[in-house]
Formats: sequence, C-alpha cells, structure tokens
Amino acid sequence: MGMRKTAGSVGAQRRVSIETAIEAQAGAYIRRTGVHRVEAGMGSVKNESQPQRAHSQHPTLGSLAVAVVAVAALAAVAPQAHAGPREQAKRMYDRLTGTPPSPTLLDELESRVGGGSQNQLFDTAMYIVDPQQPHSSPFYSVVLKNFATPWTNRDQDVFAPLNDYTATVIGMVRDDVDFRGLLSDDILYVGSGVTPAYSTTSNAHYEALESSNADLRVVLQPTAQSSLNGLPSNAVAGVMTSRAAAEAFFIDGTNRAMFRFTMLNHLCRDLEQVHDTSYPPDRIRQDVTRSPGGDSSVFNNNCVGCHNGMDPLAQAFAYYDFDEMQQRLVYTPGQVQPKYLQNSDNFKPGFVTPDDSWENRWRLGGPNLLLGWSPSLPGRGAGAKTMGQELASSDAFAQCQVEKVFRAVCLRSPSNAADRSLAADVVGGFQTDGNLKRVFAATAAYCAGD
Amino acid sequence: MKRALNPALALAISLLALVGCGGGADTVENPTTSGPDAAPDYAGPPPATADIQAFRINFWENVRGANRCGVCHAAGDQAPQFARSDDVNAAYQQASGVVDRDNPSQSAIVLKVAGGHNCWLADAGACASIMTRWIQDWVGSSGTGGRRIELAAPPLRDPGSSRRFPSDPLSANFGALYALLDAHCSNCHQSNAATAQSPYFAADDIDEAYIAAIPRINLDEPERSRFYIRLAAESHNCWSDCRSDAEALRLAIEQMADSIPPTQIDPALAVSKAVTLYDGTIASGGARYENHLIALYEFKTGSGGVAYDTSGVDPAADLMLSGDVGWVGGWGLNVRNGKAQASTTASRKLHQLISATGEYSIEAWVAPGAVTQEDARIVSYSGSATARNFTMGQTLYSYDFYARSSATDANGAPQLSTADADRRLQATLQHVVMTFDPVNGRRIYVNGEFTGDLDAQGGGVLGDWDNSFALVLGAEVNNNHQWTGVIRLVAIHDRALTLEQVQQNFAAGVGEKFFLLFGVGHLIDVAQSYIMFEASQYDSHGYLFNNPKFISLDANARPDNIVLKGMRIGLNGAEPSVGQAYRLLDLVLDESYYTPEAGQELSRVGTIIPLEQGPASDEFFLCFDQLGARQNVCSEYAAPAPATYTDLPASSDIGVRTFDEINAAMAAVTGVSPNNAQVKATYESVRQSLPAVHSIEAFVSSHQTSIAQLAIQYCSALVDDTNARASYFPGMNWTSTLPAGSADRDAIVDPLIERVFGDVASQPESSAVRNELDSLITSLCNTAACGGSRTVDVVKAVCGAAVGSAALLVK
Repeated sequence: MGMRKTAGSVGAQRRVSIETAIEAQAGAYIRRTGVHRVEAGMGSVKNESQPQRAHSQHPTLGSLAVAVVAVAALAAVAPQAHAGPREQAKRMYDRLTGTPPSPTLLDELESRVGGGSQNQLFDTAMYIVDPQQPHSSPFYSVVLKNFATPWTNRDQDVFAPLNDYTATVIGMVRDDVDFRGLLSDDILYVGSGVTPAYSTTSNAHYEALESSNADLRVVLQPTAQSSLNGLPSNAVAGVMTSRAAAEAFFIDGTNRAMFRFTMLNHLCRDLEQVHDTSYPPDRIRQDVTRSPGGDSSVFNNNCVGCHNGMDPLAQAFAYYDFDEMQQRLVYTPGQVQPKYLQNSDNFKPGFVTPDDSWENRWRLGGPNLLLGWSPSLPGRGAGAKTMGQELASSDAFAQCQVEKVFRAVCLRSPSNAADRSLAADVVGGFQTDGNLKRVFAATAAYCAGD
Repeated sequence: MKRALNPALALAISLLALVGCGGGADTVENPTTSGPDAAPDYAGPPPATADIQAFRINFWENVRGANRCGVCHAAGDQAPQFARSDDVNAAYQQASGVVDRDNPSQSAIVLKVAGGHNCWLADAGACASIMTRWIQDWVGSSGTGGRRIELAAPPLRDPGSSRRFPSDPLSANFGALYALLDAHCSNCHQSNAATAQSPYFAADDIDEAYIAAIPRINLDEPERSRFYIRLAAESHNCWSDCRSDAEALRLAIEQMADSIPPTQIDPALAVSKAVTLYDGTIASGGARYENHLIALYEFKTGSGGVAYDTSGVDPAADLMLSGDVGWVGGWGLNVRNGKAQASTTASRKLHQLISATGEYSIEAWVAPGAVTQEDARIVSYSGSATARNFTMGQTLYSYDFYARSSATDANGAPQLSTADADRRLQATLQHVVMTFDPVNGRRIYVNGEFTGDLDAQGGGVLGDWDNSFALVLGAEVNNNHQWTGVIRLVAIHDRALTLEQVQQNFAAGVGEKFFLLFGVGHLIDVAQSYIMFEASQYDSHGYLFNNPKFISLDANARPDNIVLKGMRIGLNGAEPSVGQAYRLLDLVLDESYYTPEAGQELSRVGTIIPLEQGPASDEFFLCFDQLGARQNVCSEYAAPAPATYTDLPASSDIGVRTFDEINAAMAAVTGVSPNNAQVKATYESVRQSLPAVHSIEAFVSSHQTSIAQLAIQYCSALVDDTNARASYFPGMNWTSTLPAGSADRDAIVDPLIERVFGDVASQPESSAVRNELDSLITSLCNTAACGGSRTVDVVKAVCGAAVGSAALLVK
C-alpha cells in the first residue's frame, strides 16, 4: 500500500499506513494482518510486518450482521516542518475540540490560517473556541469537561460524572471570567432547561446534562454560588466550595484533602514538592503524632516538612464539612468542625484550631518562595475565600494552568527551551488577564506545527 | 536562690499536677512484703503517731531486713539508723533526716541509693524508684504529703562555652583522673572487684571507666563534680585526708577541662544562658494513682537485660529481655522481635493478689509500631498461645482484651476489642488501661477515655486462674504473636481502676519531666528573669519542649513592655533547623500579662527538638531575634535557588483521542447523534475501555477492540437509517452486488474518505485508503455474495473500518 516516507525525527515522521483487520466472530477478534507495535518513548508506530495484502485470506464471516471489521490505518504523520495551513488548521481543531473538522469548516480554517503566522494561528484558534460558533461546542462539552473532571475527585478519575465543579470551570472559560477567581469567586454554573434542577444534595442535575449530551457551550448559566448553597458570599471560595469538591475533599478526614488536591490540581505540586522541615511547626494540629511508632525522628524528618506549611493554610477550611447524611456541604461560621480537633491525644501540646484564620508560612523563605506569592496580598487571612485568592494569585497557579493546557493541547509537557519560552509568554499573558481560553488558543497555535 | 511556687497557683503554670497529694499517696494498704529477708520480730514500743505507723508499714518494714538497709543502718551500727529494729519511733526520727517529704524522689536516702550505694538490685535506679515509692506511700498516707515544686535557679552558663565530652578517653585527657580512680577506687568500683559497686569508673578497661565517670565530672565547674563533692563534702573512702584527695581529683578534672575547648557561639546574638535537661527541676513523678499497684515497670534502667519491677511489692517480677528488645531514651522498651518475660515464680504474685480481690487493671503507655499488626500481644499473663489469665493485645486499629474468668474460656476468649470503626489504636504514644471486675467484666480505656465497648460476657470469678503462667511483654510466652512498638510503662493493679483514677494516671503522663529555666536576666532589666519550659526526653530521638513562660524568681520583679520576637531553641551551640515552633513569636512581656506565681505564658504549643548527644550532655539555650533592646536575627532562611531546567527527551508529537473525543468524533464524521439509543448503549458499555489518556504509548489492543465496537455501532445506525444513508452515500444502489470497479463501490468509499480522512496531507493518502477499503469490499463479497442485505452489511463493515481507523483515532 502506498505511503509517504520521510526520514527524520519523531515530529518529522509520517504516519505509516498499515492495516489491521480485526474480525469478530462469536466474540473473537482475529488479527489478520501485520503486527505493529508502539515504540515506547518514540510515539511512532511502526509496521514490523512485511507489506502484505490485508485480505489475501478470505475471512470466514458467519454473518456480516454481527461482523465488526476495523481497519486501523495509522497514516503517515505529516512532517511538522512542512505542515501547511490546512494541516495546521486541522491539528488545532483536532486538539482544541477533540474532533475532526468537517470538510467545509476545514476549508474556512485553512483560509483563516493564511500564511501561518503566529497571530493568524492564534486568531484561528480563538475562532475555533469562540463560544458564538457552534463548531466550538466540543471544546466545551468534551475537551474542557475532560480537562477538569480529574480535579474533582480523589482518584483523579477522568470518567467521573459531570458536576458543578467541572461545569464552573467550563463556564468560566467560556465567559472569559478571570480564571484566578476559580478558588474564590462567588460563582457556579448550572444548566438551563434541564431536569432535575440544581440541588445542594445531589449531582443528578449535572448527570442529566451529561447523559443527554447537552451542549455545554449553550446551556450553562452563571449563578451566584451563595444563592444556591446558602453560604454567605464571603464564605464561598469558587470551586472549592462546590458540591462536588465538598463531596470529594471535605468528606470525613481532616479537610487537609481539600488543600492537598487543590495544590495538586492548581499549583501542580503535591506536598512532596513543597516539603521543607525548616518552617515553624507550631500550627501543626494535635492529631499528627510527633513520634510515629515511638520514633520522633520520623516526624522531624518527614511529617513536619508537609504539615508545617499545610496545616496553617488548611485551617482556612475549619468551618466546612460534607454531611454524608444530607449529602451536602455544611458551613458553621464561628464553630470549628470537630474533625479539626479529633485525635487530640496524639500530641496534646499540638495546635488547637480556634478559628478559620490561615497563614502562608511558605512566604517565610526558602525554596517555596519560588511559588511566587503575590506581593500585593498579606499572606494571611480568615476563611477559604482569601486562602483561595492567595493560592490563585501565585506564579505557580498561573504556571500550572499553562502547563496543564500545554499537556492537553500539545500532548506533552514543555520539554525544551522553546517550549519553556512559549510557556513563560503565555503565563505572562494569563497573569495579565486571567483568560484561560487565550491560553488554550496560544498553546494550540504554538503546537500547530510549522 | 529557690522560690516555691504557690501550690494553688502552680496549677496555672502547668497542666501537670505539680502540687497536691502525690498520686498513690493516700494509700493505707500495706503491700505484700514477703521479699526482704525476715527481719527480727519487732518487740519495741508501738508507733507513737499515725505518721509513724505509716512509716512503719510503708517504709520501715521494707528496709529493715537483713538483706537491705537493716544490715548496716541498724541500732548501734552506721548512722543514720533509720532501719533499726529495736525502736520504730527512733528509726522514724532518723529517717526524717534523710527523707524529703515534699519531693520524695529528691530525698537524700534516695539519691544515695541512686548513686549506687548498696542497691540490693543490679540497677541502682530501680532501687531508687522502689525507695521513692515506699516514701511516697508513707508520707502520702500520713495526710501531710502535699508536694510543692521549688524552682531552683540553674547555674548561669553561657551557651556554647560549655565543654562537651569527646567520644574517647584519650581525647578527653582522662588519663590522670583515671590513674587516681584506678589506684584508689578499684577495690569497689570495678565489676570484678570482690565488693563490686557500680558505677565502674575504676574499671580495668579505660573506655568502660570513662563512660561511667562522665556523669560524675563537671567540666565547666570541676568543683561541682560528683567525684570532688563525694570526698570533699561526704568524706567517702578517702585514701589520705579528704581535703587533699578531693583536691587531687579536682585538679585532674581541671586538667581534662583545660584540654577540651568550649564550643563557641556568635557573641553578637541575643542568647539566653544555657542549661541541660538535668539542670531542670523535676516536674513529675508523684501524680499517679497507685494505691493498688502490684507490679510496675518504668524501664528507667536504660541498659542491660533486666527490666525491673519497681512496684515495691515483693517478690519483684523482674522481666528478662530476650530477642531484639532494646531500650528507649526517656524510659521505655523498644520491642522489635523479642519479648520481656518474668519468671513464673515471680509472676505468681499476680495470681495470688488478683485472685484475692477478684478484679484487676492492666495499665500501659505504649506506642504501637504500626497499625497493621494482627493478634499481637502487648502485655500478657499466659502459659501458651491458647491459655492465659489475661492479655492486652493489638489487632490493626483495635486493642484486644482477653481475660480468663468464669464467663470466658481458658484462653480468655471471646476477647473484648475496641470497635474497628473507632480506630482507637494509633501508632503513637497512648495510655491504655484494661480493667476487669466481677460486675462489669472488662472495660478498656484509651487516653483517659472509656471506649464504650461493652463486655458481652459480663463479669465472672477468677477461680480458674492458673498460677503457673508468666507475665510477658511484646509477644506470647512461646514467642509467637510478636508485637512491635515501644512500651514506656506497664503497671498491674489488683483493683479495677475507676475512670477518675485512669484519668489521673493519664494526666500524670509518662517519663521524666523537667522545668528548664533559661536565664535572660543579662538581656533585660528584670531581676532573676527566665524563660521557663516544660521539657522531657520524648523518645530516643528527641526532646519535648512545651509551654514556654516568662518568669522571674524575684517575687517583686515585673516585666515592663519588653518586646520578644523570634525565639529559637539552640542545641549545643547551634540552632537546629527543625522544630523551631517559637520562631514566629512576636509579643510583649508586660506586667499586665504577668503574675509572679504563674509568669507570662508565651505559647501553649510544644515542639520536638532532635536529640544529639543525650540528655546528660545536650545543652540547650534560647536565641531571640529581639528581646528588649537586644536585636539580632538568629538565623534566616536561605535564599531560594532559581530553578534549573533540563530538556526532556523528545516525545511523541501525536496522540490519540480519548473516550469522549472518540465518541464525539464518530458522531461528527457519521452525522449520527450520540443520543441514538443503540449508540448510547454501546458507548456506555465501552466508555471506560476506550483510551483515557492522549499518550500513544498507552494505547493497547483492547482500546482498538472497543473503538471497533463503537465504530460499527455508529455505522450501523447510519446505514440503518434510510434517510441518513441516502444523504451520506448519495447515488448508492443499496441492492448492488458491488462488482469490482463499479460506481457503487465509489459511492461507499468516497464519502468516507472525504469525511473521515479528509483532504489533508497529514492524513493517509486517499488512493491508499481507497485501495484498502476496496480490497475489503472484495474480500467480503467473495466470502458471501453481495447484494440485498449483504450489501448493507458490507457498507456497515467498510464504514466501521474507516471510522474505527487510526485516521480518526490519532490527533
């Protein structure tokens, strides 16, 4: 079979057309043609078989009504060095929406790319994700949904149902809401015209939206979160006080999960990456044993390095809990949740949480200064809203959003100087306008190939 | 200077019970005292007062035996004659001079024994503990035993100027002192002497002697060395005249000190005076409820193969350590793979005493090594893995209590366990008490709290108890059911402790606690001012510093608007990088917050400071970023180093669509709604079998299987819908036999190429795809003749091959 062969790097390789016929009969699929394998680290697919007629043998089809035949034609990858406007347009649409463009749309996108300058590419990418255009629907309903879904559960499961956290991410991007308000704004997106309506005690509203393949580009409507869940506006902290986040991270435990997963998802750092034993341990709660198994060196070398930074920050959630009986977020202003005071005998001289005041000890110095804390914020406060602002105003938050988008669009992490330079530029833009849609577009333009 | 804390106000200083009656102090019961050799029958005058009666039954009867103090301190023999058997009133008079009723552990008689003076056990510390207990029982029972803590001003030493003992005697210049000790003390103070008397600082092996001598040498103040004082002030076995002998020892110590340079600290820093743990005032030891104690293990010995029963109730059921069982700093046993077991003979007292009362309590301070241990024995009084009188055990997060009685079997089963869901057992230091009484049966208390787990078996009688069993810690007597963790105290009582008694013992804590006074009078204008900490050795690796206060020992002194910022705890001339819980302190010391009795609290939290050389040697001090007018930042965080990046290996430029993208893409290229019932059902069934990540390296054959299923379902929905297929495949004759080269084949293939593959250079070449799909049609029509429904099925298959191909999958 015909193929265009081009030597060179991975990026310069062409997709090799091979065929695999898989035939199902009585549940069995029989590979009929050449073996192909994926070469780890290269990302290329090679045909190890000799060119062979795919159907030199006649398949034994008992009944075509039950036959499933698929040809996995892994076509040659167009060398990016020679990608034309059409290829760039296709790739951008592919990456941004997860779907191929229709022939008509591809023609239009190709013309918009024109000579292929970065500006033209960026403008075309912005056109692709323009919520006024129906062709952008998969960007919101598919790509953004799957982009955000792993953030909303402890298993980081991308198959988890649509929920208010995910919908709010999608809505904020669609409406160009400053994404740095993600962890503090009094905002939540609900679906219009969907039954059942939003409920503080159930996710059924969003599951119905997803099940009906509703066009999230259209149906999502912004609402004041406080008007839905009854929290005071100053107790609302963006997606952290969404029902989905509460169910995932305020349930049981000590509320440290909310902090840890917010760090993981929005600062792209797990606690190991901010581990530093030198910060003062005076805000570490009583439930953390100082002598695990009778050995305090374990505490002083390990436990303290995360808890000394986390506990003073996670104190911001002291009034929040997820009530499993009611299946809803509860907020008890002025009354510290019992989970903050449990296992107090593990270390009686430990910190007893009196309120929801928080403090960012990572501002004191050391390597965690590199997270880039905003000089215009005090680094301390009370409640989840101000703590969310502290996190979302950091350089690390901006870098993390860009990094996540880069991985989603370019299908790899920034890996060389050019990638890092682009990322830095995009981070700079994000820190100016907080517009995540533009981050997607700029990144797609960069990875469109040239 | 000493200042007594007002007993009532002292409570405000510490959560610890500093004052009031010592725990166990109000006992009126006479412990079993079958241990001492029979003393002569007493035929003297009766005790003149109730206090002398208490002295007699709690103390005198224990010490006057021929194998204890009575052998020397008897009537007409060595003074003081507190063990004389002729007149208990006279003995009481003598004893009063060597007993500190306020602080029994600091009694001269206890300190003497603790120093190794004729201890009847191999461990002087154990003798001291036992003697302390006897005194506590005596003074407590008289009703006059209120304890007062006196804060004693420590010696004023500058931090870092202290000398630390080198690791070997040569570096310490120990030779001259050793020569004196070897020449004049080796008749007793070496292990192979005829009258061997520890400590063995005159041992033949200079290394052994050096280690034993260190605690008796004060390098900073040689005249405070125990060696010097023992001769100069106590005239202990001087070899010529005591004054010159003591001076010779002092000079030798000075010679050592001169050869050891002090560790220096930056003089510009605002630092307090320095103290060691043992410079502090002992803050605990008497607040436990121990009226019915029959066996007690405090593990103070710290070395050797015996853990002594210091209950004072004879016979002592001392535990022999076997296997991998080590000692823990700050008192305790670390059980790794071994056990500590008493003899069956000595253990028999448990049977004897508990059988008499029909009730008992097992009390322990333990730190389980892990919460993964199952059916492991912590404290057991048993004969085998299946026969016991009682056992405290662990199963995962629960404590187990096996107790043999008329309500249970010979194994004490069924056991009472704390509820799984409660997760009472944690891998941290916990106070556990298990009680049994004939009415309520078994109860378990963890950290001073009744767990609420009720004994379904209820109470019973202990008539079936076996007196041939042995008390064992850490494993079963047959070495099975190994438990790992740290045991810091075990006590057996022959009564079921009440909740209040359990809480009293929990509040008393475990281990030795001190009030450390860090002198700051040289930094601020407040007389005799100190920062006071509650401190203790927390375990083998750290110290607990807790609840710092500012206090002056001058009752008239008051702080006046003194700024205190950034307090650090220093250790051996340096600032530990971890555990600086008071680094962010920023407050004002002022009269308005200060009371002479309680001082001014600086913080309520405690912190763990790593142990370096051990409690005898580690020297602590405080450093302040600011204290009063003195300012100088003790230490600052290092400036962060900018991140450096390394290029990653080139990775794939392409990836695969993920599950929802595949579904949306197939819907887009076929024009079939994803809400189509069949499509939706198929998608739901294969959704989680489709690729979840973009990485092409993670693509496996099962993904392709699911893609094929979904593709054929989309194509089936398309082709089964006559309107949709007519629109999608214009000009197609649906009854055609699809002969080779016919237009009907193009009618199938062309729309698919246009919509699925597209006219893009990055996609497979149209001609190649066309050839492939055409040969598929040929193949299928050769298998069974096309035409009619066969043609429809072939179109579905060709459509499925195209839609399920990598052209759609890869992006």
